[in-house]
Amino acid sequence: MEQIKGYVSFILHAHLPFIHHPESENYLEEQWLYEAISETYIPLLLSFKKLEEEKVDFRITMSLTPPLLSMLDNKLLQKRYIKYLKKHIELSKKEIERTKYDNRLNELAHYYFNRYSNDLYVFKDVYNCNIIQGFKHFQDIGVLEIITCGATHGYFPILYVTEQTVKAQIAVGVQTYERYFGKKPRGIWLPECGYVPEADKYLKEFGIEYIITESHGILYADPTPIYGTFAPIVSPEGIVAFGRDIETSRQVWSSINGYPGDYNYREFYRDIGYEADYDYIKPYIAHNGVRVHTGLKYYRITSKNDNKDYYNVRWAMDSAEKQAGHFLDCRVKQIDSLSSCMGTPPIVVCPYDAELYGHWWYEGPYWLYILFKKIYYDKCNFKLITPGEYIDKFPNIQISTPCRSSWGAKGYSEVWLNSSNDYAHRHIHKAGNRMVKLANLFPSEGNTLRRKALNQCARELLLAQSSDWLFIITNGTMVDYAKKRIKEHIGRFTKLYFQIINNNIDKDFVKSLYEKDKIFDDINYEIYK
Amino acid sequence: MPKKAKETFGSEKDMKKETKKVANRTEKEANSLAKKATARKTTSKKNNKTAVKASAASSLKKKKEASSKKAKATSKVAKKTTASRKSVKKIVDVPEHYDLPYHYNQTIVKILAQTPKTLFVYWDVSENDRLNYEKQYGNDFFNNTVPFLRVKNETYGYSFDVDVDDFANGWYIHVEDPKSNYSVELHRKQRQFVAKVIDAPVYITSSNNIETPNDHILFDSMSDTIYFRNIKTNQISNKNITNIYLLRNTGKIYNIYNLYKEMYKSENVNSIFDLNNPSSGNHTSTFK
Repeated sequence: MEQIKGYVSFILHAHLPFIHHPESENYLEEQWLYEAISETYIPLLLSFKKLEEEKVDFRITMSLTPPLLSMLDNKLLQKRYIKYLKKHIELSKKEIERTKYDNRLNELAHYYFNRYSNDLYVFKDVYNCNIIQGFKHFQDIGVLEIITCGATHGYFPILYVTEQTVKAQIAVGVQTYERYFGKKPRGIWLPECGYVPEADKYLKEFGIEYIITESHGILYADPTPIYGTFAPIVSPEGIVAFGRDIETSRQVWSSINGYPGDYNYREFYRDIGYEADYDYIKPYIAHNGVRVHTGLKYYRITSKNDNKDYYNVRWAMDSAEKQAGHFLDCRVKQIDSLSSCMGTPPIVVCPYDAELYGHWWYEGPYWLYILFKKIYYDKCNFKLITPGEYIDKFPNIQISTPCRSSWGAKGYSEVWLNSSNDYAHRHIHKAGNRMVKLANLFPSEGNTLRRKALNQCARELLLAQSSDWLFIITNGTMVDYAKKRIKEHIGRFTKLYFQIINNNIDKDFVKSLYEKDKIFDDINYEIYK
Repeated sequence: MPKKAKETFGSEKDMKKETKKVANRTEKEANSLAKKATARKTTSKKNNKTAVKASAASSLKKKKEASSKKAKATSKVAKKTTASRKSVKKIVDVPEHYDLPYHYNQTIVKILAQTPKTLFVYWDVSENDRLNYEKQYGNDFFNNTVPFLRVKNETYGYSFDVDVDDFANGWYIHVEDPKSNYSVELHRKQRQFVAKVIDAPVYITSSNNIETPNDHILFDSMSDTIYFRNIKTNQISNKNITNIYLLRNTGKIYNIYNLYKEMYKSENVNSIFDLNNPSSGNHTSTFK
């Protein structure tokens, strides 16, 4: 066995905003969760399971955010996911009939039928409708390190003008994690990797040991870290920060020459939701008849022009295997070069959005599976490691304050603060200040109804703070929905705020909000004191 | 003169009235306002006025009814429809409609860092304070004065003024120095060619303090000694970088730029330091 000269750490950030509409089944945005379960979360779990069965010793870190955990644990959404799967099974059955004229298409229709049927089996029969326990299993056997995130993915560099709101994001993130995993998280994924040193004391207070920052969070740190992103730094408050490796993120992430652009991979944008005969596909697209993605896609990327060839599962797997080999070779060279000039073994930190794997890059989970197998079996000068394990092994860390940064475009706050969404911040800040005021006016409320109202205020505030709404507005898709969510949560918060202040709380209103915004059951508004 | 108006707990109705009043006023004024090309002005008015279109859900109610009728054709789907109706019934239906208020009747100025060299500032002046200023300086105080922001760099000890506009409530300001502490003060000064109401600028309120992000590797401030902490024992140790440099005789670790240069021999190192992270700029990052 080759000498271990360094480490590689994969970190997948699994997050979706909290979307829960018991009042209607027609929200397209709710499908994000179902697509993510089928295309990312279940495939990842199946890959981990295969590796476990094959006795491959691997390591991976995942952040499962509180909104995602809350949705995965929500009975209504679980039921609706099963309905989603049944619809897809029904559609792929029809597709098997429809595509009998072409063997290649027909094979693909069978492929989708098997895949969705298997999802239903895994979801219902293996995980009893709750895949959180699937992830927990891998944490329990020591191959997966699950970390937490801000309660609703609130972006710290903008929220911190009212520090208690950042504290609450951290506190509820940690509390939610403990509820699902029965222990404290060691690490936190800062929402959007948004780092401000002001948050460190709260991270420390809630027992967080490490964070992940964008590359320049480390490179521009003060004083300059001598090992760049290849070793963590520790802030004066005692929070360890790992920086994203530039080379690996470009290899996997780049939309121009990244791995997901391989010609054999599935083409995301060719979907029968847009291509099939309208009357035929109508029952499987949006309720208002608008064509949307169904998940059944028959083409591969093929080339840069519009002529697309049919998808071939075997060819796609071949490409994934080749690329896994390429990634491995690059890391071997990288680690070799780094280890010769560092005092401690280097760590190459590779954080990605989890949903890149499977949803956008359909073959991503398979690539990861093959890569982990190769790392285990091939001659290799590095090992996979989690950030927690790395700091246990190498606790001597350079003291330095990370740079204020994010992983958004251009590295700072432009994605969440620009002319399209800046109107929202005054309202979010105002609600934050009012929440602090409420917590101090009613420091330990005994009245049940008022306490419920105060807790609901905290939920509404947290939901308004989700960075996703700001991102969506910037991105220009589903903008109306994102604006509606900010308006609704701020509106609900404000209405409740005045009801509490004026001592005229409407019990039905509190109850209806609790049903709609059913998140953080055990929240305690007193965290805002 | 109050530096900051105390927030009063008005009823929501009062707040809405007030909001409407201000919104109407602003709308009239805005109509007569020529577009300003120079400043990167932002008003929340546009966003507030943007009617949030009915969501997919509400606009689809009729469709849903129609589709549920169709669904009865198959008993399986019909069953599901009934089930979802049952769950809808459980919710107490409280009609909701919300608009974001134009302002909160508070005197405030807030500062945020958008980038290492761009600040975003938003502000507001409460009705009470407006009345007080008018009492003190006459009814034309707000007509005959204009607002400006005094940007203070507390790290390097300088300040400069930026003229803003009464029709805006937010502004982007370019600053020269990253990694600096900034604060902003809101003032008003005499408008030209109108009756004089004040002799000197009037201070309204001050912002929070922020530090802007750093935007470069801090080679200049690197000292020869760096400190390490053992996070398990909390023991602090130090290393002399010059010694390491000599020992290793490579120079690679002294300078991150060189380190990357060493690693990416065939590439333009500057492009590596281009931190245009594809994650958020690239649609592949999320579902949205």
